[in-house]
Amino acid sequence: MTQVSEMTATALESQLIVGATLFVLGVIGFLTRRNLILIMLSAELMLHGVSINLTAFSRYHGNPQGQVFTIFVLTIAACEAGLGLSLILSLYQRRKSLDVLLWGKLGEDDLPVFTSPSNLPVQVPVDPNADYPHLSPSGRMPKTQPTTPTKT
Amino acid sequence: MEWTEENGLLLIPLGLGWLAVWLLMPSERKRPRILGGLAGLAAILIMQMMLLPPAGDLVRNALFFLFAAGSVISAALMITDRNPVYSALWFALVTLSVCGLFLLNSAPFLAAATIIVYAGAIIVTFLFVIMLAQQSGTIGNYDQQPLQPAMASLGAFILLGALLFTLQEWGHIGGPDASQHAMPGQFITVPVELQPNPLSQHPPDNPHEIGSLRVLGRSLFGDYLFAVELAGTVLLIATIGAIAIAPRRSQGTL
Repeated sequence: MTQVSEMTATALESQLIVGATLFVLGVIGFLTRRNLILIMLSAELMLHGVSINLTAFSRYHGNPQGQVFTIFVLTIAACEAGLGLSLILSLYQRRKSLDVLLWGKLGEDDLPVFTSPSNLPVQVPVDPNADYPHLSPSGRMPKTQPTTPTKT
Repeated sequence: MEWTEENGLLLIPLGLGWLAVWLLMPSERKRPRILGGLAGLAAILIMQMMLLPPAGDLVRNALFFLFAAGSVISAALMITDRNPVYSALWFALVTLSVCGLFLLNSAPFLAAATIIVYAGAIIVTFLFVIMLAQQSGTIGNYDQQPLQPAMASLGAFILLGALLFTLQEWGHIGGPDASQHAMPGQFITVPVELQPNPLSQHPPDNPHEIGSLRVLGRSLFGDYLFAVELAGTVLLIATIGAIAIAPRRSQGTL
């Protein structure tokens, strides 16, 4: 106990407050934004808040465990960004839009649709492949008369 | 009543912060965004004054408040900007400020690694995806209409208030002797002791070189070797998964 860390409790508490604020701002972004990419960026913001806490405690206790853990957080953040962006790209390829409300309904066509309580207008983009024939979605009776292909 | 006298001061920056985030959020109606910015600055200043007056190294404190305020302001602007490209750039600023805080925490290697990984790789990838997906340059209407901004930020600020009150209560529990009870406005009084790493097989490190490459590498490849191997495997699997999931040219262009 002869070596005492030069970091005071004040410095630790300020860093904890900064970390908590970053985390809460990330939560707000995660909950409110409708852009899929911004949702993932807000998740990364929350990870930053956690990293600040980890390094502050590492300095406070004077051992490198917190910094080692931050390196693992960094690794997982890189994995998450790569996987998430490829998922977002394949979602974008289907709907041609990054709006998260377009994916509020994952059920079948005859199930009730989730509507957001605030009734935000959802802009469904024009499908460029609308002229091509479409298979009828599962769970519904196929049309008996050959009609003009409909948008799905 | 006693509770409000002790903790009521915290409610002012919390309320101002909620007002700032709500006013800065994009919406259809014109909101006074200048007022939102002023409220946010006031919240940060009040919060800074509620912390203890800077004792000790002046330069260190000044750098800390610079980086802390920079990261918080950039984060608030990131989640409230209409344009996703600007949001990604604000996130780069948040990353740089957080790396400054890492440097103050004597973690220079971690700061360099974070800058390389985040600013060099992750943000660039995000920008690529944003520009791929919004080639027309127009901002979708989904960026102008956030989902339940008032309620979401209210709930989040209640969470922040709970965290701050918990920190304050932690201070009131006090250290081993009565002289370490928290002063008003002071959050934590835990005794400052140097704890050796219980998992480590090496002698405890000199606290002045916690973040140095030698200590960090010995800890990573000595005490946490199994976790490092696992992390490498996770990275490999994530790479394979991302290549498998990403849409191909044969399936049509974006």
